[in-house]
Amino acid sequence: MPELMLFVTGTAPRSQRARANIARMLEHIHRTDIQPLEIDLLKQPEQGIKHSVFATPSLLRVSPTGEVSVLYGDLSEEDRLHRFLSDLERSV
Amino acid sequence: MNDAKTKLQKRETGIAGLDNVTGGGLPSGQATLVIGQAASGKTVLGLQVLARAIERGDGGVFVTFEESPAQVKRDVTSFRWNTHLLESDRWQLIDARPRFGAEAAGEFDIEGLLSIVGAAIAQTRATWVVFDGIDQLLQYQPDSRIAIEQVRRINEHCEERGWTLLLTGKATGDSMAPARLEGIEFLLSATLVLSARMVRQQLNRSLRIAKFRGSGHVADELPMIMDDEGIQLPYHETPPATKPLASNERVSTGIERLDKLLDGGIYRGSSLLISGRPGTAKSTLAGSFAEAAARRGERTLYVSFDELEGPYVRNLTSVGVDLRGPIESGLVRFHSLSAFASRVTEHFLMLRRLLDTVEPHCLVIDPVSALLKADGIEGASMATEHLIDLVRRRGITTVLTSLSGVQDPEGEATQGQVSTLADSWIVLDYNVRAGERNRSLSIVKSRGSAHSNQQRELVLSDTGIDLADVYEHGSEVLMGTARVTMASEEAATERRRQLERKQRRMDLERRIEQAEQERHRLADELELEKGRSTETDHQERIHRKQIKQRRDPERENLRADATVKGKQP
Repeated sequence: MPELMLFVTGTAPRSQRARANIARMLEHIHRTDIQPLEIDLLKQPEQGIKHSVFATPSLLRVSPTGEVSVLYGDLSEEDRLHRFLSDLERSV
Repeated sequence: MNDAKTKLQKRETGIAGLDNVTGGGLPSGQATLVIGQAASGKTVLGLQVLARAIERGDGGVFVTFEESPAQVKRDVTSFRWNTHLLESDRWQLIDARPRFGAEAAGEFDIEGLLSIVGAAIAQTRATWVVFDGIDQLLQYQPDSRIAIEQVRRINEHCEERGWTLLLTGKATGDSMAPARLEGIEFLLSATLVLSARMVRQQLNRSLRIAKFRGSGHVADELPMIMDDEGIQLPYHETPPATKPLASNERVSTGIERLDKLLDGGIYRGSSLLISGRPGTAKSTLAGSFAEAAARRGERTLYVSFDELEGPYVRNLTSVGVDLRGPIESGLVRFHSLSAFASRVTEHFLMLRRLLDTVEPHCLVIDPVSALLKADGIEGASMATEHLIDLVRRRGITTVLTSLSGVQDPEGEATQGQVSTLADSWIVLDYNVRAGERNRSLSIVKSRGSAHSNQQRELVLSDTGIDLADVYEHGSEVLMGTARVTMASEEAATERRRQLERKQRRMDLERRIEQAEQERHRLADELELEKGRSTETDHQERIHRKQIKQRRDPERENLRADATVKGKQP
């Protein structure tokens, strides 16, 4: 499973903001190598049931040990998002 | 938009009492808020509505935000309608519990949820959707205004897609909305409030329609029962379509001379109340009525409160009333109930079920005043009122007895309004004179009959009951205590006369009220009938539109373009 999954609904404003916010944060922590897998629940509703994600946008993280954690919302709270991804951070 | 969209449509919930008090169900194509404290029956209500929909051949979707799917299924198991849910694939149970340890970093919306549910609705052809405990998800919303906004969004979505949805949430204190969702009750057109309160160690459940925009409804707190049949509103089950029969046939009371006084007996399908102090032979009269019914080959349901069958039947035998024979032949079905064991509403439900299974011609409840002893905040008057209404509609000839106090021979009968509702009323009493105790009988009212209002003496012997005329004052000169007795008897007669007058007035008022109610009911029915046909049209329109869109969403546009181009010079 990919490391990061971003659940969105089409071009809804909050989904758009989440796309931009996660991209900015990945750049900030020097992990542009990670491409979150985007899942559009309007097109693939069954993925929501599969991953138990019903709020959009949501960022799902699967650790190498298979542990899943989730962050709801448009990721506009930078501190929270930063903390959520802190162990992925690389110093250049 | 068109008429069908702006006009309120209703969809049956399949819970007879609820459909009855709402005049046909909850708003179709909209969301209804169901709020209540923990364990007030919100989840059960949702599940029951789905089970009934599936039973009718429809489908359903249940989205749980709080309980695990396993727990929801366990909830279902304890109800009689569980097979509709446990063995059907026409519904989908979606586990939408927020993930453990989830956090929020900004606002989110529920478009994803709606898309997921939409897919499930298409798959199951659902007519009902339940969002159970939506507050569990929306509490992650950093701003409560946005949470409320999303409830509005859900309702809009329902209107666009024609979903009929129940939205349940936990009530906090006296608020009409879950915590952080204050105000959502104003957004939705209907709100149900469920409650479960402990009153004198007993759980009293109730359902209240707090709001139903654009629809007539009963606004009272309605006593609710939850047993293996699920949620029921015992007093508001849809009455059978048959109109109450106004029979001209007379039915014997089992006492020839009493029948004569009553102009030939009581009307079939009417109700007779017999009230009196302890030991005035109420049970004997009731027993002789049942015995006479058995002689005619009619079935009687005989309910005794707080007395067991054995001693009861034996006591009657000693005064020449034989119930043993009819009980053995099955014409008299004797049921002994304990007044204290249940609440009034439960007694009513029990009696209704007995009536359903026995399907009697006649009913005896001895004494109906025992219901007054049973606890229940709803009060006994509601129970007796509905009971009399029920037997009247079913054409069951009914005898109810009522125990009154020593000082007040008519007393208790007026409680619970039984005397107002019953068609006939006989008061039993006794006079002690010259060391002799004489039982007396007088007919306080007998609707639709010319009846004698003179007091008679009731004579009991081992061959049965008879009446004797009383001779005023007799041949003796009344002295001492006898004179006092005489005076108090005159006072009693006067009181009784006034009571009769009051009774007649109350009867007339009651009849006016009944006629009013009937008018309202018929008006609602007419409204519902109109609604039903528009609803069908509306559903058909949606269906046609969906088929068209599915076939080719673009074609419509292309054709429109082509027409425009074609028209240009």
